[in-house]
Amino acid sequence: MSGATNREAVFPTRQSLGLMKTKLKGAQTGHDLLKRKSEALTKRFREITRRIDEAKRKMGRVMQIAAFSLAEVTYAVGGDIGYQVQESAKSARFRLRTKQENVSGVFLPAFESYTTDGNNDFGLTGLGKGGQQVQRCRETYARAVETLVELASLQTAFVILDEVIKVVNRRVNAIEHVIIPRTENTIKYINSELDELDREEFFRLKKVQGKKQRDTAKQDAEMKARREKAEKAGKAEDDKENSGGGDILGEQDDTDVIF
Amino acid sequence: MEGLLFNVNNGYIEGVVRGYRNGLLTGNNYNNLIQCETIDDLKLQLGPAYGDFLASLPPNPSTSTLAAKTTDKLISEFRYVRANAVGSLAKFMDYLTYGYMIDNVALLITGTLHERDTRELLERCHPLGWFETMPVLCVATNIEELYNSVLIETPLAPYFKGSLSHQDLDELNIEIVRNTLYKNYLEDFHSFVNNDSEMAGTPTAEVMTEILEFEADRRAINITLNSFGTELSKTERKKLYPSFGRLYPEGSFMLSRADDIEGVRLAVEGVNDYKTYFDQAGMGQSSTGAGNMSGGVGGDGKSLEDLFYQKEMEISKGAFTRQFTFAIVYAWVKLREQEIRNITWIAECIAQNQKERIGNYISVF
Repeated sequence: MSGATNREAVFPTRQSLGLMKTKLKGAQTGHDLLKRKSEALTKRFREITRRIDEAKRKMGRVMQIAAFSLAEVTYAVGGDIGYQVQESAKSARFRLRTKQENVSGVFLPAFESYTTDGNNDFGLTGLGKGGQQVQRCRETYARAVETLVELASLQTAFVILDEVIKVVNRRVNAIEHVIIPRTENTIKYINSELDELDREEFFRLKKVQGKKQRDTAKQDAEMKARREKAEKAGKAEDDKENSGGGDILGEQDDTDVIF
Repeated sequence: MEGLLFNVNNGYIEGVVRGYRNGLLTGNNYNNLIQCETIDDLKLQLGPAYGDFLASLPPNPSTSTLAAKTTDKLISEFRYVRANAVGSLAKFMDYLTYGYMIDNVALLITGTLHERDTRELLERCHPLGWFETMPVLCVATNIEELYNSVLIETPLAPYFKGSLSHQDLDELNIEIVRNTLYKNYLEDFHSFVNNDSEMAGTPTAEVMTEILEFEADRRAINITLNSFGTELSKTERKKLYPSFGRLYPEGSFMLSRADDIEGVRLAVEGVNDYKTYFDQAGMGQSSTGAGNMSGGVGGDGKSLEDLFYQKEMEISKGAFTRQFTFAIVYAWVKLREQEIRNITWIAECIAQNQKERIGNYISVF
């Protein structure tokens, strides 16, 4: 039998048949559920890919504008303000919050950016000239960083989802192509073994029955022969008895003598 | 009258500077520059004007190195002129460098305040503002030592004295310190050109007064505009306005009380030039805040700062129509600086492929 290698090592009993059937049922339910999960994740995955594409394009534009606004600052201030800005920045104005989002049992981190109000460490930079360009440049870069944050959270989700989808698909395939066929094979094997046993039993019973019939037939024949013989003998005796008087000492009922 | 003896000492310098002025890029050159497709093309176009200084640049240099190299040319020419200057002209040129010195000292103060190694900062200092004793300032480890060595070692001492103490350096924002110094510097420069025996009553005094008054007004207006929405209070702001200029005193007083762009517009109403700039820049009518170069997004009209630069260049160009004056040195330095800014701007536009804004440079020749 070809399935001999591809089945579980169980004794072909009715109990294990029951077990296998439950297992098959479980596997099928699991397969359905995982398939659905994988589809949900893939849907999400496609959406994220699309959004990454958008975000990347947006990032290209925003970064270009930001770089250009820096050029404007250089033009307006006419010098290097980098050092001063670096030194006067004390605390972060642009901050991040992380959240978790649950997509079909997968936790995706999502980054959310927010700016702290009233934190303007280098508000006076370029007071003499170019101050407004500096501020505008800062705003432009803040927007650029926002886009980067969005992109980062999408990319993280992308990587995680990719991993999870792979795992889920592997499971789906494992169930579909390994576990279910094997369980089915096992069930088939158990069934065939059980059938075999049934047939053996049936045959044995038949054999026993046949032997019994033979025995009865023989006995019948013997009895018949004996009866015939007895009949013959009985006839002769009958003839004898019938010729003799009645049995006085017989046990036939006598009418009781009543005084 | 002043022409009688001017050439004895300063004739050579004047000739040299006028020669340099002719070396400035003209409108034609700029037209060629904006046609360039790559930085290399740009470099090639700049070849005749900058020659040797750009020769050592690698192919496709970054805009900042390009700017640094073009500045190098200005520096070397300035040093040459300075080396040949004598008497009042030498002093005049020293005054010219004080403005850059203020920037450098402000940089060192920032570094010391944040306890950085100030020696590294020396490289970042503007070479025009370099003075021999500057490395000495780096020895200072705390702000008080620095303050004392600035007082002793630098020519900027008078600007610190009386208006800033060493506590102030610690507490005030560095921008306020810088602008206070600059205000003192402008006032000092102004009184120098008007009171020096060699300059008073000469075309130098006339032209320089015009330039310095414009500079003072520009700073006052810019400080006011840029201080909206910051923690700079009105009284502090008032201290930063130079006490001369065409806006002084009424305009300055009104500026100090201005709360918004509309207020600034009212304050400059008295001076026709500035009023026109405000109208041109489209500020005041719609007080939707901020009107300088509209940050990267379109904006075809010129901004107020552009107009100010334009005006500065015109004044500088006008200075060359006068003879026997030191002001041409100042004008030449300013024109050359603007040229460097223009080149950087054009290079930046080419590098970032933003050709639509490339015409934003200011050319007066």
